[in-house]
Amino acid sequence: MKWVVIGAHLKREDVEPIANVIPIGDLFLSAVPIDDDRPLGDRDLLMQVADVRAKLLDRATFVAIRYGFAVRDAAEATSKCGGLTTRWRALIEAHRDEVEMTLKIAAAAPTARPNRHDFSSGAEYMRALHASAHTADVDPSFRDGVERALVPLTTQHRWMHRDRSSMELAMLVRRRDLEKILDAGEKLRKEFAAVPFLLSGPWPLEVFADDHQQ
Amino acid sequence: MADESQEITLLETLDHLLDRGVVIAGEATISIGDVDLLYLGLNIVLANIDAVARSSQK
Repeated sequence: MKWVVIGAHLKREDVEPIANVIPIGDLFLSAVPIDDDRPLGDRDLLMQVADVRAKLLDRATFVAIRYGFAVRDAAEATSKCGGLTTRWRALIEAHRDEVEMTLKIAAAAPTARPNRHDFSSGAEYMRALHASAHTADVDPSFRDGVERALVPLTTQHRWMHRDRSSMELAMLVRRRDLEKILDAGEKLRKEFAAVPFLLSGPWPLEVFADDHQQ
Repeated sequence: MADESQEITLLETLDHLLDRGVVIAGEATISIGDVDLLYLGLNIVLANIDAVARSSQK
């Protein structure tokens, strides 16, 4: 038996009985048990974890652990996450009443994927591949509209490049302002009918808890 | 239309599950069937490239 870890939570009651608890320091990991031989890529398992994750977020805000982290017991969890708990606690306490929302916007002009044959080394190609994902931009008037309509409703926001064909705006939003964000999204849809975008959430602390994005 | 909306919601949910949140070091491999999906490893590589790019600008 092993445990697929979903998130880090402030209180045990934020997790039970929706998921199982693995205590680490003064925090609690949420997890679901699986058989040792069950692959993490199992579709039903993915759907189960997604469902549990959403239910946990209904209960309280938590730090999301990217799917794929599995442990055998609390000792292993502590050895791998123990150094992170102070930061996670501070994050959850600071954003206890907030959730993340994501606005994914199609790029005005997607950039071309670099061709491997144009590069003499694999390292140069990897750098170019990575750089190409950071050049997509969105319609400036739409971005202005977003800055006007959505950003003032957030407590923090971050524009991000994820691939060559889109940009994302990650937003931290007070739970009580979720309806306002959705309403503002509808207004944007009417004002910019030609711009494909997707407003999604609420999500747990993902982007704002992920060090390498900062 | 409702099916399409459900499909988008499902894709977005899986995107967040698989590509967001804190990456715990050392957990780099997910297998589907006999194929290892090394996207978490790739993510670590990309983070390192970011660091290389930053240090080369200094």
